[in-house]
Amino acid sequence: MNDIVMFASGALILIGTAAAILNRDPFDKLISLSVLIAGVFPFIVERGFLDVAIATALIAPLSTIFILMVCRRVQV
Amino acid sequence: MIAIYVCAVIAVYAALRVIIERNTMRKLPFLNVVSFAVTGIIALLLPHPITIAVAAAYFVGSTLESNAIASTWAGGIKKP
Repeated sequence: MNDIVMFASGALILIGTAAAILNRDPFDKLISLSVLIAGVFPFIVERGFLDVAIATALIAPLSTIFILMVCRRVQV
Repeated sequence: MIAIYVCAVIAVYAALRVIIERNTMRKLPFLNVVSFAVTGIIALLLPHPITIAVAAAYFVGSTLESNAIASTWAGGIKKP
């Protein structure tokens, strides 16, 4: 039943990883990393780890914001 | 049954558009589309009541992340 959705999530992870490797601009790398994180979530929810999914959904943007501070510091 | 498949197709299509677009500003709306589609997948995947809390938390987090990237890119790329 959920195989097509899981294949789509795996495709999302692979697309995000390839784009994060191949891009040169740090903002493009961060956008690709967001796609990668978006692909991880259905695998967490499918097994029933809902509390882990809530914690990850609230912690993962913090890491992106910390990396964004580094990007801005380098460019200015 | 068909709604989660539609969400999966939209997620993969938007991720492909994120790769294909060259301009960084045009990548950001498709990143939002990926986040909305994954929120729909999370909400429809399991028949459990806490799933809607996961979907709400992911929606808030991904929107915050996308807007942080967009605002930093809009204010940080210009050199005085």
